[in-house]
Amino acid sequence: MYKNIAIKVHNVSKTFRIPHEKVSSLRGAFVSVFKHSTYEEFKALDDVSFEVKKGEFFGIIGRNGSGKSTLLKILAGIYHPNKGRVHIDGMISPFLELGIGFNPELSGRDNIYLNATVLGMTQKQIDEKFDDIVKFSELEKFIDQKLKNYSSGMQVRLAFSVSIHANRDILLMDEVLAVGDSNFQSKCLTEFVKYKDMGRTVIIVTHDISVIQKYCDKAILLRNGVIMKIGTAEEVSNEYVYENMSDEERRIIDEEKESADQSEKNAKAVENEESEANDANRRVAEISRIEFFDADNNEKNVFESGDDVSVKVHFELFDTSKTVDFGVRIHDENGVYLFGINTFLDKIDTVKYVEDGFFRIDFKHVPLHEGLFHVYANVIGIHPHLAYAYPFAEKMRKFRVISKNKNEGPIVLDYIWEGAGVLK
Amino acid sequence: MRKHENYRELVWVLAKTDFKLRYHGSVLGYVWALLKPLLMFAILNFVFSSIFNPRGSGGNEYYTLQLLTAIIMFNFFSEGTMASMSSLLNKSQLVTKIYIPRWTIIVASTLNSALVYAMNLVVIIAFFAWYQFLPSFAAVVMFILFSLSIYAIVLAFGLLMAPLYVRLRDLILVWEVVLTILFYATPIIYPLQMLPLYIQQVLLANPMAFIIHFTKESLTTGHFAESWQYSAFFAVLVAGFGLSVLAYRKFSVNVAEEI
Repeated sequence: MYKNIAIKVHNVSKTFRIPHEKVSSLRGAFVSVFKHSTYEEFKALDDVSFEVKKGEFFGIIGRNGSGKSTLLKILAGIYHPNKGRVHIDGMISPFLELGIGFNPELSGRDNIYLNATVLGMTQKQIDEKFDDIVKFSELEKFIDQKLKNYSSGMQVRLAFSVSIHANRDILLMDEVLAVGDSNFQSKCLTEFVKYKDMGRTVIIVTHDISVIQKYCDKAILLRNGVIMKIGTAEEVSNEYVYENMSDEERRIIDEEKESADQSEKNAKAVENEESEANDANRRVAEISRIEFFDADNNEKNVFESGDDVSVKVHFELFDTSKTVDFGVRIHDENGVYLFGINTFLDKIDTVKYVEDGFFRIDFKHVPLHEGLFHVYANVIGIHPHLAYAYPFAEKMRKFRVISKNKNEGPIVLDYIWEGAGVLK
Repeated sequence: MRKHENYRELVWVLAKTDFKLRYHGSVLGYVWALLKPLLMFAILNFVFSSIFNPRGSGGNEYYTLQLLTAIIMFNFFSEGTMASMSSLLNKSQLVTKIYIPRWTIIVASTLNSALVYAMNLVVIIAFFAWYQFLPSFAAVVMFILFSLSIYAIVLAFGLLMAPLYVRLRDLILVWEVVLTILFYATPIIYPLQMLPLYIQQVLLANPMAFIIHFTKESLTTGHFAESWQYSAFFAVLVAGFGLSVLAYRKFSVNVAEEI
């Protein structure tokens, strides 16, 4: 009926019961007959429907706890849905974990047979591919040794070799597998791209938007067990970016609050200890607060690449006899200095700022690529003869940039491929 | 819904792996497997041949052969049920990380017990040869049928209990106690005829008692059960097996979440 559909998921729901008191013994079961047992229901998936066409590289993206792993386990047949149906046309190779069934007491050879059989290969197929598997793993010399004598790297190599030779029509892959060794991760993904070229269906579960952008044709976005978006990889990753922006905003605010509380505590402690040594007269200025605003003057901490970002800095001046200037520096997460400017260099009159108690600088179309950026605001004094800036006060605040751009590196430039035709 | 086309090979490879792991692929490993039932046999044979001699009261001269056969059969039952019950939990990786039909794991564990039993039969044959005793052809056929019945009981038990054991982890402790009780409730060390008739009838309701009593009798004295008794026994066996398959279907569905 559906000749080109590999997987059809139809109104699938999955609920987990989380009992308040887990009964895991017969004795407990007897006791709980007389007690009213209470539990909470956790809806991991709620009425999820989608289709995957044959030969598609299909992504399932979502944050932790969005239900994506549950969905993968349902597709793999490990969990049984409470409601709905899953129709799968073809054989599935799950890549949820490498080396399933591996036993350290058995030889490499026995483990290959065991693992490959579990993955669904027949003895005949294993016999045929055995040499290839061993060759790919580069373990020819050790194949009759017990697995426990292998290094962990050798074990992974063997497991991976078996897994990619047990190739079937449909591959399910959990990103957890690709976590860690980036070399290994790229090796995995290269293999999967090869599968795709062979016309096989690949389903990958991830929270990494770049995986979706790089490899997937289509994708779904899950949030709290509900599909928020089905569409092309492009559409879904855009949606995911927006979702992340609002979540990230909340996270940064919480973080700020925490660090503010912390520094208040620290400041109090310092004050008590050094109240005499700390001569207020010698302090020229203090920066009380930094705020970020978007183009519509809404306070924000997360911006999209290319947005306008305004930085508003509130300060207090204790010594009005000194001439002060104001500056802003932007560093990336690793402390690399990206940009810096001050009112002295730009020859800006600071009288108005001093009167108002704050200054504001608007950055247009910020060309930063994704990441966390540190903004340092400064009140500075300039040595009249040497034109040397020394800081009176400094404060830092972070903002995050989320990007849909596909380029690499810390910034985004406007570019065009000269003479190139239309998009592929 | 999901096909996994190599069930038979899967079961076989799983069983073979268990077997290899248990005996490390060595002859000595197998000797260890034999040691337990043989040691038990040696002790019980000494106690009941030399200290308490049941031969005077309904026992017979083939007590040694009967005891050995009974112990090896009961050993098959007890080891088999213990192994099949814990099979899913012991192989939890095969349940939670991939889909293979769960019954293949249970069947593999019972096959392993059956393999050990088949090897133990060599010892039984050796003892019969030593005593230069040849049982009747019908008795041997019945023995084989009863051996298969024990296998069916072990498998049914595994299908029923393995998914339950995942949820209720103290079941194995309970079952160990029950096995000890069953050992004495089954005419292994004593002949059934020692007991009052009504108790005999009650005990024979236990399939293991039925199997072991009539195996002992038919092998050595040529005494068989009535044909209606056999029919009833096999009817109960088939019904029990059917029920356990139903229970397996019900309880194995969500087993991956419980481990």
